Amino acid sequence: MHSVYARINNVSATLSTSLMILLAAIACSSFLFTANPTGSVNISSVKVFSAEARRYPNRQQEFAFVDFNITADLSPLFNWNTKQLFVYLEAQYTNTQGVQNEVVIWDRIVVRKEDALLNYAGKNKYPFRELSKKFKNIPPANYTLKYNLMPYVGLLTYGEAARTTAPVAFPLAKERVE
Amino acid sequence: MSSYIQHLVEGKIDFEGQKAVEKIAHNALIAVTAISFLLGLALQSLRVTFGAYGLGVTILFLTVIPAWPIFNKHPVVWLPAQETKKDK
Repeated sequence: MHSVYARINNVSATLSTSLMILLAAIACSSFLFTANPTGSVNISSVKVFSAEARRYPNRQQEFAFVDFNITADLSPLFNWNTKQLFVYLEAQYTNTQGVQNEVVIWDRIVVRKEDALLNYAGKNKYPFRELSKKFKNIPPANYTLKYNLMPYVGLLTYGEAARTTAPVAFPLAKERVE
Repeated sequence: MSSYIQHLVEGKIDFEGQKAVEKIAHNALIAVTAISFLLGLALQSLRVTFGAYGLGVTILFLTVIPAWPIFNKHPVVWLPAQETKKDK
């Protein structure tokens, strides 16, 4: 006859199966919520300055400084399974060797739905450098606002919220700030 | 007294009760999972989902784990002991 331990064993075995099914159902429910947020990215200015590279003495390297405006309403992305959003501005350009480059120059983590209405004006948060050390002759870059939706349970999903209407050219490097 | 404690700890139930427990646990877990999922989906809150699930599971454990008298209503009836030569 069944004792307490046999019953605990029995019930918890079924319990773990049902918990897995519940988690799988929650993960799949993310596919029900298809949001396609839109916004705009405006690049107000791009400046390139030559400076001494960090950690390498006597090596000159060019740094790009990007001033931009971002407006986007990402609140439709918040559903019951949304933990947080990683929003980032990416510069996309093909360098002189024909390599497609994607550089993250700004990011933000949005945890609450109330903060999902992005309205930001500022400059790049991270140094924007070229591997070849110079931005000379590099074709104009596109700037895209992308997001990464992190759910409580399930798969990470990526998306694009906004993109500059036309590519923005890199100016010639200046030696000093005027 | 000690036999009472032993009964509580071992918590043996009869075969009919065992069958009932398995049926209750299986059906209740399916119902609790489905209800908590739909409730959370409707209210758009994972907190509601796992709150309902936890509450349901707690009630289920309290219902089926202790040896409640209702699961002991059909004790096994043994045949009477047969006389053997030794007893004569």
